[in-house]
Amino acid sequence: MTGITKLFGTVEALRDVDLTVQSGHIHAIVGENGAGKTTLMKVLYGAHQASDGQINLNGEPVSFRDSKEAIAAGIGMVSQHYSIIPELTCLQNLVLGAEPGPVISYAAAESRANELAKQMGFQFNWHEEASEISPSQGQKLEILKLLWRNAKILILDEPTAMLAPDDADLLYAKLHELTEQGATVLVVTHRLPEVMEHCDEVTVLRGGKLIDSCPVAQTNPAELAEKMVGQAVTEHSPIPCNPGETLLTVRNLVVKGDKGNDAVKEASFELKSGELVGIAGVDGNGQRELFYALMGTRNSSGEIHLGIQNLTNTSTAERIQSGIRLIAEDRHNEAVIEDWSIADNAILGLQRTNRVLAGRSINRNTQAELAKNVTEIFPTKFDNVNQKFRDLSGGNQQKVVAARSLQESPQVVLAFQPTRGIDLYVAGLVYDGLIKATREGATVLVVSFDLDELMTYCDRILVMNHGEIAEVPAELRQDRSAIGRMMVGAE
Amino acid sequence: MKAFHMSWKQILLALAGFGVVIGALIVAGAVPAEALQTVVQKALTTPAGWRDILRETTPLLLLGCSVFLALKAGLFNIGADGQFVVGAMASVAIALHNFGPLTIPLAIVVGTLAGGLWALPVGLIKAYRGGHEVITTIMLNNIAFFLSVFLVKGVLKDPESQSPTTAYIAEAAKLPNLVQNGPFRLNIALLFAIAVALALWWYLKRTVGGYELNATGANSKAAKFAGIQIEKVIVRSMTTSGAIAGLAGALQVLAYENRFYSGFSPGYGFDALGVALLAGGSPLALLGSGLLFGIIGKSTTVLSLTGVPKGLSFILLGILVIVFASFRYRKEPSHD
Repeated sequence: MTGITKLFGTVEALRDVDLTVQSGHIHAIVGENGAGKTTLMKVLYGAHQASDGQINLNGEPVSFRDSKEAIAAGIGMVSQHYSIIPELTCLQNLVLGAEPGPVISYAAAESRANELAKQMGFQFNWHEEASEISPSQGQKLEILKLLWRNAKILILDEPTAMLAPDDADLLYAKLHELTEQGATVLVVTHRLPEVMEHCDEVTVLRGGKLIDSCPVAQTNPAELAEKMVGQAVTEHSPIPCNPGETLLTVRNLVVKGDKGNDAVKEASFELKSGELVGIAGVDGNGQRELFYALMGTRNSSGEIHLGIQNLTNTSTAERIQSGIRLIAEDRHNEAVIEDWSIADNAILGLQRTNRVLAGRSINRNTQAELAKNVTEIFPTKFDNVNQKFRDLSGGNQQKVVAARSLQESPQVVLAFQPTRGIDLYVAGLVYDGLIKATREGATVLVVSFDLDELMTYCDRILVMNHGEIAEVPAELRQDRSAIGRMMVGAE
Repeated sequence: MKAFHMSWKQILLALAGFGVVIGALIVAGAVPAEALQTVVQKALTTPAGWRDILRETTPLLLLGCSVFLALKAGLFNIGADGQFVVGAMASVAIALHNFGPLTIPLAIVVGTLAGGLWALPVGLIKAYRGGHEVITTIMLNNIAFFLSVFLVKGVLKDPESQSPTTAYIAEAAKLPNLVQNGPFRLNIALLFAIAVALALWWYLKRTVGGYELNATGANSKAAKFAGIQIEKVIVRSMTTSGAIAGLAGALQVLAYENRFYSGFSPGYGFDALGVALLAGGSPLALLGSGLLFGIIGKSTTVLSLTGVPKGLSFILLGILVIVFASFRYRKEPSHD
């Protein structure tokens, strides 16, 4: 790819980016959110049209009008958000869009599917509904979908985001086998350890521009991080933690999952004033259901106490009144109303707290003050608070949501991936903000799928595996592989 | 909240819509300029014309408020017509009797309650069982219609009349005219309707209840996480929407029709969908769109005297609503 420029309206997502990928290599594309990684990949496989520039495949100039043409030329992509249809079986998902003919012979399809799975060392029950499979199985199914379509160049967007460390290693081992057979793999990621360990070459993008491209052997994580951020990254220096009295007590909490199983099993833990506690675990091990139960949006059995207050059977509104705040996982659907202004979103969830509610109306002065706070705590790019929330970039939206959870004297902040979609620098600020809140007397519970992040910032780490919660012993808190083993129940 | 602004594309589409209407007028054998002249002369510049326009506007505005409120809570109330009929029927059942000075207030309250009760199961089924309100309201429309036919042919029928209708209500049970000047009349019912529109504006824009209702309609999941009891909001909004439609029915009886008969509603509840959609984001715009629909309704009647079929106005309304709906409800891309 040479001289790729991509404009969205007047916004320049990519400017004059060159990318050369050797066949048979695993090539990492790194950069912060908004650096243009995904856009570049989408241009490559035809989902976006480049505004300018040239793509050569095996020396021949090519241009794809859509992803169908790209896949026909052997280029396929697994995006961060899977395109698996839960109601169909795994086999139906596999052949969807690339059926061999108008009449599908599932017997023939299954034998080829098995062959592909065997080649990759995956195991599938092909007649299982896709809704039943785990996120990591879904990932594998997506990769098989590309192989089914005879893709020779595989683009994977954050492929290990939902995998435990060991599963991630396994995935890369299989990818290496593929490249040995002549395939080429492009990995979009922000996890540098992964790049160093498994990739052959790395390209760094920042602000839509190419910063550097070199073999992995010739660089190191610190150098890469600096190139990604554009400045030297300062290490987080821990602030001493002096836990106070117990704020949140959870006893024998059982929460049902969507499929009627026990997603959280007899969970018991305490959160003390003054500490930031992380929950490590692979996605889908009950973290979501735990947060729903703590917020009161899903029924649970067991007990939840805040100080001396029994919250067990209280409504979400009462819990918010008592000082529980949520940074919801799914920003678009759970945290904000995108059609509304920043100002109207600034009080969402706080609309019945003491200072916001004036009689039956909303106190406009408090609202204005909160709108100001939520955009100022973390540096947010916006025009004015009456601007539609939708018009903020993803990172800026997340900053506002994180800042809102710190408003109106929070006691307990439940943060589900609070740094999702924001760059390293601001992620640091968000954690600093959360830590500051704890040092002022609150307690924060963070769910993250990025173990390094939790190890960097948390005072204590809990591990969640198949709905069971265990605490990482103090002496193992910096032992990445020990925590990794706890995450998958190997210990 | 959502600002209302039209792009040149919308204006072009609206113009194209009018082009279709003019084309249809020509096909119908009328000269567009003459047709317009007829409308201006017979509807827009005469006291009798305005009497009818304001009369027409009253139920359209109220039912527009009813649909608008439900729409803000994320509910498509197709059942306003049925709630209107039930409200009118309940109201006339009261107004046919003499309760002294209480007759009118009682008839209004009972009509309003009846409309609300008619919508209550819709809200309950939607909130607690997930049954879609469009299906349930359409079914309840049918039930309301045939129930009303059954009743005006039976217990409510005026024994002295050949056709399925109730008797006329007593003079004392009629809502008074505020202004009566020659053929021009302005009934107090219109003030009720305007008051409801203003109250709706105040509730939606100023109160925390309105904020929570808007949130439920815009994103029920986020509303739930914000501590809003969305089930209660849904039941409450649906019932209130029905109550406003019931009030419209009661006022229609007490102010204008003074009786109830088979085929009482010419489809006001459906025109109201257009009134509400055309109003866009603001409840105050209901006043304008309600009046516009009133004018179109009267113009149709005037034009039909010159041989232009009445159906033409429905084509015009249909086009207007489709144009607006296609712009207001188009999907917008989201960032990540």
